[in-house]
Amino acid sequence: MGELRRSFHEELEEIKAGIVQMAALVTEAVPRATESLLESNLGLAQQVINADDELDDLAVHLEERCHHVLALQAPMASDLRALSSALKLNAELERSGDLAVNIAKATRRIYGTRYDAILRGLLVRMNEEACRLVRLSIDAYVDGNAGLASALSDIDDQLDSLNRECVQAVFQAHQADTIDLQAAVQLCLISRYYERIGDHAVNIGERVVYMVTGWLPEYTGSARLKIRQSQHIDDTPEE
Amino acid sequence: MSAYLLPVVVGIGMCLIGAVAWRNHQQHLTAAEKHRLDDEAQRRYQDEAAETKIQLQLSLDAVAQGVVLADADGVELYRNPYAQTFAEARHSEALVEVAITELLAESVQGKSVKRQVELFGPPRRCFVVNAKPLQNTNNTYGSVVLIDDLTEPQRLDAMRRDFVSNISHELRTPMGALSLLAETLVEESDPQVVSRLAARIQTEAIRLSSILHDLLQLSQIESNDAAERSLVDVRLIIQEALARVSQSAQDKQVTVETSLPAWPLTVKGDHRQLTSAVFNLMDNAVKYSDAQHKVWVTATIQQNCLKIEVRDQGHGIASNHQERIFERFYQIDSSRGETAGGVGLGLAIVRHVVTNHQGEIAVESSLGRGSTFTLMLPAASEVSNENEAISDDELIGMAR
Repeated sequence: MGELRRSFHEELEEIKAGIVQMAALVTEAVPRATESLLESNLGLAQQVINADDELDDLAVHLEERCHHVLALQAPMASDLRALSSALKLNAELERSGDLAVNIAKATRRIYGTRYDAILRGLLVRMNEEACRLVRLSIDAYVDGNAGLASALSDIDDQLDSLNRECVQAVFQAHQADTIDLQAAVQLCLISRYYERIGDHAVNIGERVVYMVTGWLPEYTGSARLKIRQSQHIDDTPEE
Repeated sequence: MSAYLLPVVVGIGMCLIGAVAWRNHQQHLTAAEKHRLDDEAQRRYQDEAAETKIQLQLSLDAVAQGVVLADADGVELYRNPYAQTFAEARHSEALVEVAITELLAESVQGKSVKRQVELFGPPRRCFVVNAKPLQNTNNTYGSVVLIDDLTEPQRLDAMRRDFVSNISHELRTPMGALSLLAETLVEESDPQVVSRLAARIQTEAIRLSSILHDLLQLSQIESNDAAERSLVDVRLIIQEALARVSQSAQDKQVTVETSLPAWPLTVKGDHRQLTSAVFNLMDNAVKYSDAQHKVWVTATIQQNCLKIEVRDQGHGIASNHQERIFERFYQIDSSRGETAGGVGLGLAIVRHVVTNHQGEIAVESSLGRGSTFTLMLPAASEVSNENEAISDDELIGMAR
């Protein structure tokens, strides 16, 4: 039995290393996508798009590996939470990689657009902030640091406010006729992609809290619903 | 390439010495049995073997490259502390570890493989991972993986390339213009056109002479290890620089405000060099500002350090350029369409002046919001000493 547990924990460590590798691929893809956007570098944009296949391949392998371990070892309690969290993190990181690809694809659509200094500055800051959040979420995961993990949602506020600022700057640039409508729409979407990468990092944080403590923020909503149902309060919206 | 070979040789040496030691050990043991040598000889042998192993391990620990050794089955035997940092990495550097694992698996099959891993970071880094099988004609002893950080050599190489291409470009442009203008002038008889062409020639000549002046000044400052040191009042330096920059500020409708204390701010240094440094900072602040923007220059003393701050509301510098703006001829991407008219030597001059004065320079900036350059210089201790303190009049005299 001891031998079996040892092998299980080795498997878990390797899955953890896989998650770290996925996060590293994401934090490398995002600044590359940003540079391709700011420097109008189509070659680099294509590189980001191609490199996503590697992330997809790794995600598929990690998922299969997690299922394999789940099926063969039937882990329980914290071990089960660690595995189910790894599955969730895998999906979050894979999606973050897709968002970096979206930025690279948008680069192709608005090739040749010139951005003013304020817009460039905001895009650079959003890129840095999104990558910082992913890195912090991975730090929290590797260290099993529930405190840091739960703080991510507050840290993400900065990225949310940058998103609002960026959309505002895009509107202003469009009004001043420095960018056309298509570029304005794409830039607003790009800003949203960065913001979503931050949201995925926050989701990773929530999963880390669950992995460490067994608690998820959704439990609060679920508990509220149960109380309402037990009190027979009709919560359907009024006409 | 020799840098790669050294640890390989050390690694192969380690394995060979190990193999020879093992064979000797066997012979020794056989001899020991045959001749019934006492336990002490065996213990001495073991101690020596352990000592050799430690010496070899410590030598590899001290190597500045990452070294990973594996046996013929690909099982890792040894990893030096630098290589260990990749195994423990949890961010971008984790991708170097992936390369190590993959290349190790390939080299165990008898192939020599190499991969370059570029990381966007930040900071941007570049690693080269080399994996080679450790084999001689008869046997394979395992594999060695070497990890080199090429970030700094690549940066220096890029700097050198930029320098050569920039200097040739910067000198060729006005020279080409001069030659064309002169050619046209020879065949021109209309006095109005002649005078216009002559004015253009004058502009180009001034531009060329300003580049040469900057280059000469930079080379002087760079080679000037023992600059003339005297007590100088920074307030005077700022005022002199302000006088030099005021015309261009007026032309661009940029206001330059100075905030200086009423008492002398003294540093020990070269008056001309310091004026040039402060002028370049102020000149840049004006150049990269738009009409109605303001530039603030302040000087204060903070913990035995004299702090000169030049703040503007101009275009700002993206974080990825901030590390490089102090290089000679480095200019921020021309795709932004900013033609400020400089050649990129100003901040290189500032950095060298600051280094010559044992000071520090820092930049804080964000795109579209302006930049703040902070110059920290060691304040002259004589200021606090009444006997050696110098009056304003004396300082003005020195400045002249």
